[in-house]
Amino acid sequence: MGKLLMKGNEVIAEAAVHAGCKYFFGYPITPQSELVAYMARRLPEAGGLFLQAESEIAAINMVYGAAGTGVRVMTSSSSPGFSLKQEGISYLAGAELPALIVNIARGGPGLGNIQPAQSDYFQVTKGGGHGDYNIPVLAPATLQEIIDLIREAFEIADRYRTPVILLGDGMLGQMMEAVEFPEKPAVKETHKEWTTTGTRGDGAPRVITSLDLNAESLEQRNEHLQRKFASIRQNEARFETLYCEDADYFVVAYGTVARIAVNAVKKARKDGVKAGLIRPITLWPFPLQPFIDTRDRAKGYLAVEMSAGQMVDDVRLSVNGRAAVSFFGRTGGVVPTQEEIYEQLIITAGGGDVNENGI
Amino acid sequence: MGTSARITILTGHYGSGKTELAINLAINARKNGEKVAVCDLDIVNPYFRSRDASALFREHSIKLVAPPERLATADLPIIPAEILAVVKDEESRVIIDAGGDKEGAAVLGQFFHEWKDGSLEVLFVLNASRPYVSTLDGALYTVRQIEKASRLTVTGIINNTNLGASTTIKDIQKGQDLSIMLSHKLGKPVKYTFLESSLRIEGSNLEMMSNKMMTMDRYLKLPWE
Repeated sequence: MGKLLMKGNEVIAEAAVHAGCKYFFGYPITPQSELVAYMARRLPEAGGLFLQAESEIAAINMVYGAAGTGVRVMTSSSSPGFSLKQEGISYLAGAELPALIVNIARGGPGLGNIQPAQSDYFQVTKGGGHGDYNIPVLAPATLQEIIDLIREAFEIADRYRTPVILLGDGMLGQMMEAVEFPEKPAVKETHKEWTTTGTRGDGAPRVITSLDLNAESLEQRNEHLQRKFASIRQNEARFETLYCEDADYFVVAYGTVARIAVNAVKKARKDGVKAGLIRPITLWPFPLQPFIDTRDRAKGYLAVEMSAGQMVDDVRLSVNGRAAVSFFGRTGGVVPTQEEIYEQLIITAGGGDVNENGI
Repeated sequence: MGTSARITILTGHYGSGKTELAINLAINARKNGEKVAVCDLDIVNPYFRSRDASALFREHSIKLVAPPERLATADLPIIPAEILAVVKDEESRVIIDAGGDKEGAAVLGQFFHEWKDGSLEVLFVLNASRPYVSTLDGALYTVRQIEKASRLTVTGIINNTNLGASTTIKDIQKGQDLSIMLSHKLGKPVKYTFLESSLRIEGSNLEMMSNKMMTMDRYLKLPWE
């Protein structure tokens, strides 16, 4: 296939096709509409089915239905549309159905705007819908990484029978980069014991539901889910570190913000501040390891986000009081500059308060 | 630029680089002392449009015809009325940055009577490294769709084949080959081949490839670039 110049949204769609996704149900919303448009053209070519639903709510419930048959299926949206899907996502988690849900986030709250933001972090990592559940969340920083993570997302979804979220911001969806799709063997259809594809007198009827009227029985179901979440926490945390071996100060950032932060870290090192970067790739499970490795010698952490401070809570929990954690964020679609992050990093290294929002 | 047309319409596949070309063509024309207006008719893209370079246009005294700033990111298909004024202004070079594909080109159709008798060139911007236009069939299909939607006939091709920072001479050559094939099919010339100035690719082969090689600067950058 060779290298192609593609938009982030197109890469998500093409990567899903490469990962064996055959069904897409969705509703367009800026800044991820290219994903929907690309799928409309691409899936029929790949022998799949694209359907534009009448709403986000309809789309997520179509995903529920398709996932119940064991096929690889996805939907995508952006912040307000993603909020609409929450009830369906909770149902997917409760019924243990594998699916991929993409959120290319924009500025909020409410209708907000169409500029990039990371302010849906709480929503994707802490549940989002009702009930006790978590969903694995993958946050790519480059378009090439999207290709790897989409494949992993579908594999995690099948392995644990869980929906998986891919979270990006509008910039990741809209930007263009050269990408290459690796020639990997086609995804082989795995036989799933639980799918509802019709009874043939070959056993008890199969039922997919999140409904359980008996309290003890629903509690057992919850305990089963919690064991599964513990297993995901144990096995699926992913992260990347840069210059962390000898660092005193650590910038923590994910997605596109990590790419901006790298330049600030490099400049700080040039100026004699031993800075490093921790980039969570999974946001749930939040990677604890890089903090365990550094928190007893760290002089400080600086979380940088395109939000008013959401991931910083997980950084604090991971550092567990062993070092100071400060925060710098821009909101409403404003993208932090590398100069701003550098400045905050220098203030952190000077031991001062970062800004009036920093604690 | 050596162009005789007063109005240049840039069309092409989604993401083919029309906006960067519009900026470069406008700055080049200003350097020749021309009065220049750029019309942002992109109703498809939410980011990285001509309107996002408004400060640059001000700096170069290039008139930008775009939705008012407070609505620049409204996610509404706004077509500025002022476009008629610059199209009618015989003194002004006009560069029209249309949105991608037939969806973007559809906006042009309504101006058919304004420019059908004017001095007009309609350039199809080709990046052969983009999906769906990397083959002759794909590129030709896109041209025909755009022509139908815009009620215009493509008068020339711009080879803007690139892979961003990963561009190699091979990519440009591939784009050049495809442009020439498309040119034969359409009976229209390859007007220019563009090369990003920062790439610093050895030029000897390129000169052999085309005597219409132009360099361009990239203005719409990402925050880490």
